[in-house]
Amino acid sequence: MLGVSIDSWPANAKFAQEIGVTYPLLSDMTRKVSKEYGVLNEEMQFANRATFVIDKQGVIQHVEEGNSAIDPTGAVTVCSMLKKKEPAN
Amino acid sequence: MRIGAVILTGTLALGAAAANAQTGATPQPAKQVQPAVAKTHLRVGDKAPEFTLRDHTRKTVTLADFRGKKNVVLAFYVLAFTGG
Repeated sequence: MLGVSIDSWPANAKFAQEIGVTYPLLSDMTRKVSKEYGVLNEEMQFANRATFVIDKQGVIQHVEEGNSAIDPTGAVTVCSMLKKKEPAN
Repeated sequence: MRIGAVILTGTLALGAAAANAQTGATPQPAKQVQPAVAKTHLRVGDKAPEFTLRDHTRKTVTLADFRGKKNVVLAFYVLAFTGG
């Protein structure tokens, strides 16, 4: 799990401390990544809420945008399916 | 105060109309506002754009580092301290 926003890393550090996050919060201050993922709100210059599930081959397996993206159910379901597909070691 | 604001707004609108009348310019339509939710061009099956970003501990994180190791959930949130 990786979080991304256009905040600076110190702002994200404070935010991480406040909410007790256990995964990395990435800083996209140049907005380059937000733009490449097509989630940059050009008018407000911040990334809209969106969730992508990317598999081990770097292929997108799930896309969710807007308010529904705050609910992790879809992403969790896709992750579980990907895990099941993996060959047992 | 509120009445004053209404009067001021009305005055500005009238002023703009008068300026247009004087110059002969036709009023321009309001600038197209971007939708609140930008629709991504990325679809299931597309290759995820590569990235290298710094995390909140200043550590560099690269998408390629997860290749062949872990699935990644990439969650964009609006701004820190805003409830996402």
